Amino acid sequence: MAGRKKAGTALASGQRKKGIIQDFIKSIKKDWILYLLLLPGLLSLILFKIGPVGGMIIAFEKFSAFQGVFGSPWVWFDNFKKIFADPYIPKVVINTIILAILTVVVVFPIPIIFSLFLNEVRLKWVRSTVQSFSFLPYFISAAVMVSILYTILSPGSGIVNNLIRSLGGEPINFMAKPGWFRPLYVILEIWQTFGYSAIIYIAAMMNIDPSLYEAAEVDGANRWDKILKITLPCISTSVIVMLIISVGNIFTVNLDRILLMYNSSVYDTADVIQTYVYRMAFESKGFPDYSYGTAVNILKSVIAFVLVSFVNKMADKFAETRLF
Amino acid sequence: MKKNKVQVFDVINNGILLLVALACIYPFLYVFFVACSNGTYLQRGEVSFFPKGFNLEAFKYILGSSKFHVWTGLRNSFLYTAGGTVVAVLTTYVTAYALSRDRLKGRYFLMGAFIITWVFDAGIIPQYIIYNKLGFIDNPWVMIIPGAINTQFLIITKTFVEGIPKELDEAAVVDGANDWTILTRLYLPLSKTIMATIGTFYAVSIWNQYLIPQIYLKSDNLKVIQQVLKDVVIADAGTSTAFKNVIVNGITLNQQNLKSAAIFVSMLPIVLVYPFVQKYFKKGIMVGAVKG
Repeated sequence: MAGRKKAGTALASGQRKKGIIQDFIKSIKKDWILYLLLLPGLLSLILFKIGPVGGMIIAFEKFSAFQGVFGSPWVWFDNFKKIFADPYIPKVVINTIILAILTVVVVFPIPIIFSLFLNEVRLKWVRSTVQSFSFLPYFISAAVMVSILYTILSPGSGIVNNLIRSLGGEPINFMAKPGWFRPLYVILEIWQTFGYSAIIYIAAMMNIDPSLYEAAEVDGANRWDKILKITLPCISTSVIVMLIISVGNIFTVNLDRILLMYNSSVYDTADVIQTYVYRMAFESKGFPDYSYGTAVNILKSVIAFVLVSFVNKMADKFAETRLF
Repeated sequence: MKKNKVQVFDVINNGILLLVALACIYPFLYVFFVACSNGTYLQRGEVSFFPKGFNLEAFKYILGSSKFHVWTGLRNSFLYTAGGTVVAVLTTYVTAYALSRDRLKGRYFLMGAFIITWVFDAGIIPQYIIYNKLGFIDNPWVMIIPGAINTQFLIITKTFVEGIPKELDEAAVVDGANDWTILTRLYLPLSKTIMATIGTFYAVSIWNQYLIPQIYLKSDNLKVIQQVLKDVVIADAGTSTAFKNVIVNGITLNQQNLKSAAIFVSMLPIVLVYPFVQKYFKKGIMVGAVKG
């Protein structure tokens, strides 16, 4: 320790660097078990987290699998220029944004309303049953959810079309109609997430000081007054943070769900940036254009990152809560 | 008068919320009703709120038939989930322990690297190129090794480990303990809850994975149940060519029976463990909401 201090003040910078390295070696020698314990995590970080991020440089190359990441010729920003000339890009960007806005506007308020009413329930068994049942879909996979959707909406024997038929209507092939994709996506989103989001609000409500309600009762407040003037304002911080998070995630769609739900007859409404990239990489005929797909994804990530950083600042300002 | 009004509100509120709860699980029940009904009634559109002509032949048929790989998918999903969860919990915990020690040089830098690579998602193509080089194509280890550290769970675990009083391990060091003994004798026994919490989250997320196996696992004998479901239920939805009506023991099984049986068996493991692990989920969400 004393040696390093001396090195830091008196000696030249080259020797200072040497001092740091020596310190490091000393530290490894002393705590070698600790560094050994870090090894799996370090490998995982390098191979599976930094590796793919480094692999993004292929967006600036004309990547070919034979020449590899380091051998492929550089084309710099050609792939990015291509994005702006691609006639299909505006459509997928608009579809992505529409889905995201629908998710924020339609899905967001539901768990708030739900938890306000759930908070009024005094019967313990009702409370826990409702919470357990509404929370369950969050753990069910996209494949199961979408499969159930197909079963329920099946034109031949699904319950929805049975009902339509018994009312004298013509059966509808919901999964092949572009107009039905967005409503169905949003319904699945609500079903899968509202019980989960409600848990956060319910927890915020548990922290409200009961004396507030008692004071309000003395002043003659009824139940609605208490819900609207005490409970709702008291959870406003959680609401704002959750809203900010969902705005920050505007470019994050449930890729599994869309890949399982969509087919070429509903591309008009269902095709988003991520599915476009997916198809480019894994379902293209001939040689897939990995470089272009990566460039599209980078542009999406950069916009999303700016959005998340901005939103994180907002969260900081409003709620003194940073997201990361 | 006033008291009476309050009770009316309670009755209506409880009633509506219970209906909402029922609506949440009705689709799961419906799938079960369809799976265990007689196909003849199903075709006439007579199955909605309870099974008709109850039988379990569809389950036997779908699990027994080699054509649909349902059994293979379930087996693979079980193996990947079990292996992946053990690897992930241990790796995450040990890494969180190491990163929470002051003696580890460069720990802030490493944590920063974890967070940056988490926030800035590389996307599926660069990942594919790297994983391809590492030999993960059609390799079942792709379900176990690469997902060993989820940055969010790492942060949660690290926060927990940092909450364990340092005086404890100072005392242990005086007694001549090294990091290995501190970790295994002192920290692990104190961390059962957090390990159960991240363990359940890892297990559910591995079981539910669709994108990764769909990209990397192409052979039928390696596929997970989610992929099988896609092949059996979704890819077949337009044409329905894979299924013909079958008659087993005098019971008609049509394609809806069989598909529903496949859906039901693939969600059953989650539904069965859900009541027992629910509290860990809730705990995880609360910690995640505060720290995440």
